[in-house]
Amino acid sequence: MTEAPLLEIDALRANVAGNEILTGLNLTIRPGEVHAIMGPNGSGKSTLANTLMGNPRYEVTGGEVRFLGQPLDGMAPDERARRGLFLAFQYPVAVPGVTVVNFLRQAVNAVRGEDVPVREFRQELFQKMELLKVDRDFARRYLNDGFSGGEKKRAEMLQLAMLQPRMAVLDETDSGLDIDALRTVADGVNALMHENMGLLLITHYQRLLNYIKPQFVHVLIDGRIVRSGGPELAEELEESGYDTIEAAASPA
Amino acid sequence: MTSAPSTAASFLTTEASRALGEALGDGEAVARLRASGASALDTLPMPSPALDRPWKYVDPAALDLDGFSPPGTASEAWDEALPAGALLLRDGATAGRGPSIDGLALADFAETPDGALDRLGEAVAFDGDQLTALHYAFLRGGVLIQTQANAEIAEPVRLTREYSEAGTLATPHTLIVAGVNSRLTVIEEYRSGDEPLAVLPAVELLIGPGAVVNYTSLHRWGARTRVFGEQRAITERDADVRSLSLVTGGRLVKSHITSSLEGRGSSSEMYGIAVGAGQEHVDFYTLQDHIAEDTRSDLLFKSALGEQSRAVYYGLTKVGLGARRADANQENRNLLLSRAAKADSDPVLEILTNDVTRVSHGATAGPVDEEELFYIQSRGLTREGAVGLLVRGFLGEPLDRSALREGVREELSGLVEAKLTALGSGT
Repeated sequence: MTEAPLLEIDALRANVAGNEILTGLNLTIRPGEVHAIMGPNGSGKSTLANTLMGNPRYEVTGGEVRFLGQPLDGMAPDERARRGLFLAFQYPVAVPGVTVVNFLRQAVNAVRGEDVPVREFRQELFQKMELLKVDRDFARRYLNDGFSGGEKKRAEMLQLAMLQPRMAVLDETDSGLDIDALRTVADGVNALMHENMGLLLITHYQRLLNYIKPQFVHVLIDGRIVRSGGPELAEELEESGYDTIEAAASPA
Repeated sequence: MTSAPSTAASFLTTEASRALGEALGDGEAVARLRASGASALDTLPMPSPALDRPWKYVDPAALDLDGFSPPGTASEAWDEALPAGALLLRDGATAGRGPSIDGLALADFAETPDGALDRLGEAVAFDGDQLTALHYAFLRGGVLIQTQANAEIAEPVRLTREYSEAGTLATPHTLIVAGVNSRLTVIEEYRSGDEPLAVLPAVELLIGPGAVVNYTSLHRWGARTRVFGEQRAITERDADVRSLSLVTGGRLVKSHITSSLEGRGSSSEMYGIAVGAGQEHVDFYTLQDHIAEDTRSDLLFKSALGEQSRAVYYGLTKVGLGARRADANQENRNLLLSRAAKADSDPVLEILTNDVTRVSHGATAGPVDEEELFYIQSRGLTREGAVGLLVRGFLGEPLDRSALREGVREELSGLVEAKLTALGSGT
């Protein structure tokens, strides 16, 4: 495929609290592609997710990220979202007092740049809730407030479904999910994925990749990608662990 | 304090109190309390920031009663057509009243048969301190709201008090007496103009066995109004009281809010919302007083503070020896919307029995959380929009929990919105 890339990460370096976590990361994702980045704890997975979305606590110190050809440097998180970038958070924040339906309505209006009529919005919301097997009562609850781990992840997927991004980054979406919930979430993501969209799965374990199949798998160690391959790389990791790859990568 | 401190103000004398009572033609119950208050003026001390913990952050001297006159005695022409269950008072005189409702008494003390005021002063005593003595000595605009046994008053009772007389002491008094198993919702709204005004309100809630009362006070005071208020509920067996204080205006609004859970199985929910701007200072003292067994209380007070405004919260949860299986929760949250805004928060527990179901408390004060902002911004809302959403959600929670009917909730949420909008344009 020679289509223009959705996301180009070029020698990206990033700090958090003065520590360099990303040390020169390269990655290109084109429309229709599903990529997985796998890495052990502390390898920079969450830093990558936060940096892509523009979390102000993370400082880009080198390299560049381009989304749809535009450099993201200095762009506020909301502008990234309006351009079609989405991050499903590993730890979504609770917002007491703001209902799921109210929040989604404001987010949808902001991202689409127009007031979607209430009826139309509700119809779409209920349809997406059905797709993700989310109870309708869910809409009336305060966002993530008192949600179980599984409910939080479903709420993230519901936002993904409503905002229809061009590029979605899923940060540890499988954590805290039992098998049934994982299958539901994965089915939802697979149904939402389309040929103009890109997907980046960031995960420690191979488990999620049994349900959402990536074409490309990358191994992240010490803030950069040390190996890339196809789905077989995930299986290799599952069998031999990160240590072997780390050992093989470090002399280079 | 020494034995005979001088009264706080030059015009608010025992003599002036007697003259006011004569001019208003007090009934027996009011006359008795007025005389008691007046006789205590010279003996009761002013509360002291050094000695009285609820006054740590506000010196009553700030009320500066010197120069304030007793309430006027003029009576208003009745000129307002109001809906059923509504009563309007201007400067302490009835100025309008809606048609009556079956099972409900709603009237100025002046029009109330004396026997109905037997319990006046039961929840807020005249001899608390010099301020309560002043309240009774210069009482004007007392209103009784009373339900008969088993009465279910469907519509909220709307009591509106407007003040425009500059330089006077205002002393609104609301006595709510809920009969056995009755249901009542009261919304009391206070408003004043831009002139200096000192207000000493008192609200008494006497909740009979099995009764359920929802009481909301809307503090829409003018920019130069200072308020020191007392509100106390006493619950009998299995009674439930729920209250909400919403403060959107006033130079200084200090409220003491108490629920005395005297009846077994009774419960109290207290909610508070304050939106501060300019130099406004809101000070809440709350007391959840568990006296009987199997009592339950919950409390959530929230302030959003802009510009140089300030909020103080001091709350006490008391579980007495006899309050076995008490269940109490107390939470105060403050959102600082500017660097100059300030909040002090001090929730305190005092537990005398080992046998409690739950006693918990929490307090926070700080600016809008950056991680929350990032999360909401990552969904496309601008930083400004995200702050707005967080603040509205923050203040919406006690509003939701106060369980007011939809139209009233919208109205209150509109008051909050108007204040926030004004704040937004001012910063």
